[in-house]
Amino acid sequence: MRFFTPEWAEAARAAVNAGPSQDGKLPSYWNWIDRARTGYTATWALGVRESGTYLVLTWKDGTCADAAITSDPSLADFVLAAGEATWRDLREGGDPGRAVMYRGLRLERGDVLAFFRVIYFFVESLAALTRLPTED
Amino acid sequence: MTELSNVADSDLRGIRDLDIDDVLAYVHRDLKRLPDYTELYKRYLRQRWDVYELDFSQDIVDWREGMSQEERDAFVGISAGFHHGERQVEVELPVFMLGGSEESKIYMSSQIEDEARHTVFFDRFYREVVGMPGDSVQEVLDASFEHVSETFVGPFGLLAYQADELRKDPEDPAARVRYGTTYFLWIEGVLALSVMKITLTYCRERGFLPGYYTGFTATCRDEARHVQFGMRFLRDSVQEDPRLLLQIHETLRTILAINGATSRRLALESLGWTPEEVRRLMIRQLHMKLVDVGIALPPDIQDMVARIEPELAGG
Ligand SMILES: [Fe+2]
Ligand SMILES: [Fe+2]
Repeated sequence: MRFFTPEWAEAARAAVNAGPSQDGKLPSYWNWIDRARTGYTATWALGVRESGTYLVLTWKDGTCADAAITSDPSLADFVLAAGEATWRDLREGGDPGRAVMYRGLRLERGDVLAFFRVIYFFVESLAALTRLPTED
Repeated sequence: MTELSNVADSDLRGIRDLDIDDVLAYVHRDLKRLPDYTELYKRYLRQRWDVYELDFSQDIVDWREGMSQEERDAFVGISAGFHHGERQVEVELPVFMLGGSEESKIYMSSQIEDEARHTVFFDRFYREVVGMPGDSVQEVLDASFEHVSETFVGPFGLLAYQADELRKDPEDPAARVRYGTTYFLWIEGVLALSVMKITLTYCRERGFLPGYYTGFTATCRDEARHVQFGMRFLRDSVQEDPRLLLQIHETLRTILAINGATSRRLALESLGWTPEEVRRLMIRQLHMKLVDVGIALPPDIQDMVARIEPELAGG
């Protein structure tokens, strides 16, 4: 499966809906994520900086209802982008929280506080979709 | 009040004999009066210390022979959030220096230097005492990263993204106040001071780690200037434009909403603390700043404060 193709986008949608495997962290962490996700309605665009290609994930009431590849993320509530090196690192098992901390992944557009209200839900969704087996 | 003038004037040798409670009292003593930025800069020039003067030789003995495996694990787990936290507050601060008055900018240069020195302090501790591998500062950070809680990205990722937001317009008063609430009020005023109290009380009661005790107590004294700067900044901002109080509230709502997620059990008991004591400590730290600076909270945020969960990191 190739990275940033419609086929991959559909697999990413299924992966974020399923969520990551819940081992290694306390139940209270996953409970927090469940609460953040309940009723969540917003659109995330996750882009590759070099190519300007975005995966747009549309959340409706806590479910990812749609996933698409586009070069125009202007309708998304939160637009984020990372360089190819950061995407590669994430696909090789790199820590998504670290990508945020080190600003490998940046919020290009959208309200920072609103984005962080669901930060662990976002980070774990990013983990789930970057763990998909892909090739370039 | 002799202890507090001791806190203000001690060199590194004298700092070793200070009690953390006196240093915390020193942080809060001036909060009602709030010194101006020039006074804080002058104090920095007197209080600056040399991180390479610290001697960790007894710490290495204590670490290997005095402390149990459980105590070492707890200590590494709790300090890792500070090791990475110091780095984060160091690299996110220059953008804040781009705005504000000239006095504020001059003061800010000193806090950036403080935070860099604190990063070196943890680098030395992890390298020399804990024995983490790495030739560069980044390699040692990478080695201790596995001990950092997943929830670190909450407040510290928020700070990184707020710094990015501020970079677009460093003079934007609302963005400065939101950033200042995360940095000076929460990360420094609540998280950092709580971890300082926990780890330094442990060292003092057990008589362990004199090099760490000295450096971290000196770090705590630096924190007094940082928190006083921050509270002065927030107070003056709100006095100038009362609408900015809403920015403090919105930021606190986000911070407190993400505070409830705990991903790892913290072995606080092995350092002599219960989670309930840490909760109360954090709530008290927050209240002391809010009361002294005159920041009132609406009922929904008061409820969130009452439900604060232990969170151990700082910068
Ligand atoms: Fe600080
Ligand atoms: Fe610091």
